[in-house]
Parts: sequence; structure tokens; C-alpha cells
Amino acid sequence: MTDWKKIGAGLEPPIPEGDVDKIVGTLEGLEKSFRPLLRSIPPGADLWTGPEEAE
Amino acid sequence: MTIQEAGAALRAKKVSALELTDESLKRIAHAQPKLNAFITVIEDSARARAVAMDAELSRGVDRGPLHGIPIAHKDLVMTRGIRTTAGSKLFSDFVPGEDAVVAAKLNDAGAVLVGKTNLHELAYGITSNNPHFGAVRNPWDTERIPGGSSGGSGAAVAADLVFMATGTDTGGSIRIPSSFCGTVGLKPTYEGVSRRGVIPLSLTMDHVGPMTRTVRDAAISYNAMAVHPSGFVPRADTEVRGFRVGLPRNFYFDALDVEVAAAVRAAVQTAAAIGARVVDVDVPDIDAINTVGRILLLVEAVSNLRPHLDRRGDFGADVLALMDQGRMVSAIDYADAQRLRRIYIREFSKLWSQVDCIFIPSTPTPAPKIGETTMQIGGVTGDVRLATTRLMRGINVLGIPALALPCGFSKSGLPIGLQILAAPRQEDKLLKIGAAMEDAMGFAGRTATVK
Repeated sequence: MTDWKKIGAGLEPPIPEGDVDKIVGTLEGLEKSFRPLLRSIPPGADLWTGPEEAE
Repeated sequence: MTIQEAGAALRAKKVSALELTDESLKRIAHAQPKLNAFITVIEDSARARAVAMDAELSRGVDRGPLHGIPIAHKDLVMTRGIRTTAGSKLFSDFVPGEDAVVAAKLNDAGAVLVGKTNLHELAYGITSNNPHFGAVRNPWDTERIPGGSSGGSGAAVAADLVFMATGTDTGGSIRIPSSFCGTVGLKPTYEGVSRRGVIPLSLTMDHVGPMTRTVRDAAISYNAMAVHPSGFVPRADTEVRGFRVGLPRNFYFDALDVEVAAAVRAAVQTAAAIGARVVDVDVPDIDAINTVGRILLLVEAVSNLRPHLDRRGDFGADVLALMDQGRMVSAIDYADAQRLRRIYIREFSKLWSQVDCIFIPSTPTPAPKIGETTMQIGGVTGDVRLATTRLMRGINVLGIPALALPCGFSKSGLPIGLQILAAPRQEDKLLKIGAAMEDAMGFAGRTATVK
């Protein structure tokens, strides 16, 4: 479980705890959608680097 | 009146650029209290510019189809000597020393700038309910949002205040207001129009394009804005026989308002009736592409706004929440999102061997009411922002061109939008099928009456 409040407090400037509470649900939903996608990245996959890739 | 019609009237000396500009300014003054589509209107300099454009025409200097045509810029586009706010308190006093490239190009093309349009704060949202400059209202129903972030541009074009307005699109910000306002919006291929001098939101997903009342006007405007214009403007009798129109079997027709689904399916039938060949296709995992797009946008936006992070009180609540989310995403996740992006672009590009274009809805519903944060689609309640960008965001990740145009109206009189996708740098193909569809469907150029 990600400790969002700890991350928010460690940023400069920090994110107030009350504001972190407002976004925790969204962040957890995003993590839930994103984490499984990482399994589909093959070893050595390159980053997208620009429009020449959009061909 | 379209840009083509106004241009013909100008050259036939039936109207002057000054008369067109005065009419535009008169309409803006009438509509502004109801729509709040503009942040800045520049009456005096617009009239002076129109007089200069008339003088040029009378001397035989003709800059082309936008010569003497009143237009507006989204107030994200930097304009020399004219305040450019980005709809934000951060830039409320910012007067650029130079034009954005797109502003300079439209200036060179002879367009007459009449003002800067209102938008969602920092172009970071889809309602255009701006906490600093007030909510933009939809001219078809002023209780509803025009969409965003280019909401003022959409409202201004739909209400016939200007012939064309620039928009920017990072996750649907040209196409969403085009859908909700019943206008035509072209999001070109990534970097098809220069972003230089446009206040950035996302470093790799911002696009600049025209918003107009007809596809041919979009073509004219795009040619004046583009990095590599082809000069193509669809003819009156555009022929699309044999054109392969892709119709997704998955994703894009899930979770749609019944009237939207019916209007878009009717558009597909119209395409077949005018000779296009409809081909069923399976698109890659768009939910996954949307998720990647959210990660990229959250990080890139907060990277742009980093110098202002200590001004929390100067942001609206929704933008602040998105900035905070962006600060929570790790660098590793951002890099992995860019790896996934490359994989998805390659997967999606395989479709272009099967079809010339793909038809999908623009937004899953007509325009929601101002202030609504959730909406019902097919009996399911969803977040307005996420639902409205669901059919849009992935296209910005892919960087492919997309054309939004009206394909019907709901029983309550609200516009419904069709979105047509094509392979990178195939704008001409998009404009061609778009013009043929516009001619066949008969919804082109309808304007909303502001009471």
C-alpha cells in the first residue's frame, strides 16, 4: 500500500495532508490501472522519443 | 457565412474586412454577457487591422483565403502586445513580447484578430468553468458547459461571433468543445502545427489546431497554420467512393448515451451510402492507452508548472488536485509510460493497412450542465472529466490526427459529435472524408442563436 501522505509530506513544497486526502482515491485507481500494464513491457523496450515514432 | 463565402464577398467588394470585423465585434458585445466566451476583445486594433487588410486588397495584394477574416485565439496562444492569461491567475498580467508561431502565421495570412477566448484554467480540464475569468457557457444551452479546454473558442465559433478560433488539444481540448458546441475541430498530427509560443500543458501531447463551422473552413485555416501545408481544400463535389472506413467492434461504442450511439451509427450508414466501404476493426486496448496518457499528462503538466508550486492559492481546486496528483507519480512510472506509449503506437498503426480512417463518437454524451461533476451514461454514474475524455485522450498519446464534426442533435437540441481518425500526416484524407460526410449529413454551419 503506497503511503501517499508520507510522499506528499516529503515533497518540496509539501502537499498538505488534507489535500492529499482529496486525491488518494484517484491515485489508487490510477495505480490499479497502470501497474498491470508494466507486465507487457518487454526487456529493453525503448522510450517514445518523438513524432517520427508515430508512423 | 463561411470563410469561403466571406472571402468571395470580400473579393467581389460586396463587403469589406472592416464591415466583417464590425459585425463580429457587435456580435461579441451582444453575446459576451451570456456566453463569457472572451477574456480580451481588441476592438480598436481589430478595426485598424481590418482597414489595413481592405487597403491591401484594393491595391491588389491578396494574402489568400483568410485575408480580412475575423478570427480569435484561445488565450493560451501568445500574442505580441496583447495580454495572454492561459485562463490563470499566474499569467493574469502577462503581455508577450512576441507572437506564437501560429499567431504569426495567421497574421501573415491576413486574418483579423478580434480577441482572445476564455478557456479552462491553464487548459487543464474539460469544462471551461474558469474560477478566475468565469464560466464559459454553451450557446446551444447556456446552462451547459461548452466543453474544454478550448471552450471559449467553441462557443465563439458556434455562436457565429468569429469565423475561426484557434484551439489546443492535449486530451480532447479541441474535439470536446467541438462536440458539445456543434463545431468542426481539427487536431492535427503531433507537431503538425507549431506549439512554439503556446503556453504549454504537456510537453509531448499538446496539439494546436483550428475550430470552425465547416470542414472546408478547417482545411483553409489548417493550411495557414500548418508546418507543412499541402494547400488541400476539399472540392464541392468531393468523392469518397471506395474509401475504407473503420468501425471499431470494441471499446468506442461501449458506454454511450443512446442518442449519441444512434447518431454516430447513422453517420456510418451515411458513409456507406456515399460509397465508402465500412470495415469492422478491433482496436488495441484503449483503456490502457488512456491510462498511459493520464500518467504522461499529470507529470508533464506539473513539470511545466513547477516554478509556481508555492502559489497553491492561485490555482482552482480541480487544477490544484491534478497538480498534486502529478507530483505523486514517480519518475520510473513516467519512463515506463513512455515505453508503453511506443508499444501502443506500433500496435495501433497496424490498423492503417486495413482502413483509411476510423469513425468513432467524439464524446459519449451531449454537453453536461455547468457544475455537474458526475454524469449518467447507460445507467452508470461516472466522473464527468474521465467520461468525457475517454474517447479522446488515447488519440493524443498516439499523436494521430483527428477531426471532430457534428453528426446530429439530441431531442433536447444539443449537438452530437462524430470523430474521424487517420494515420499520421493524413490530414488531407481526414478533411476529404469529413467534407463528404458534412455534405451528406447536412449539419454543417448551423449556428446557435444567443438570446
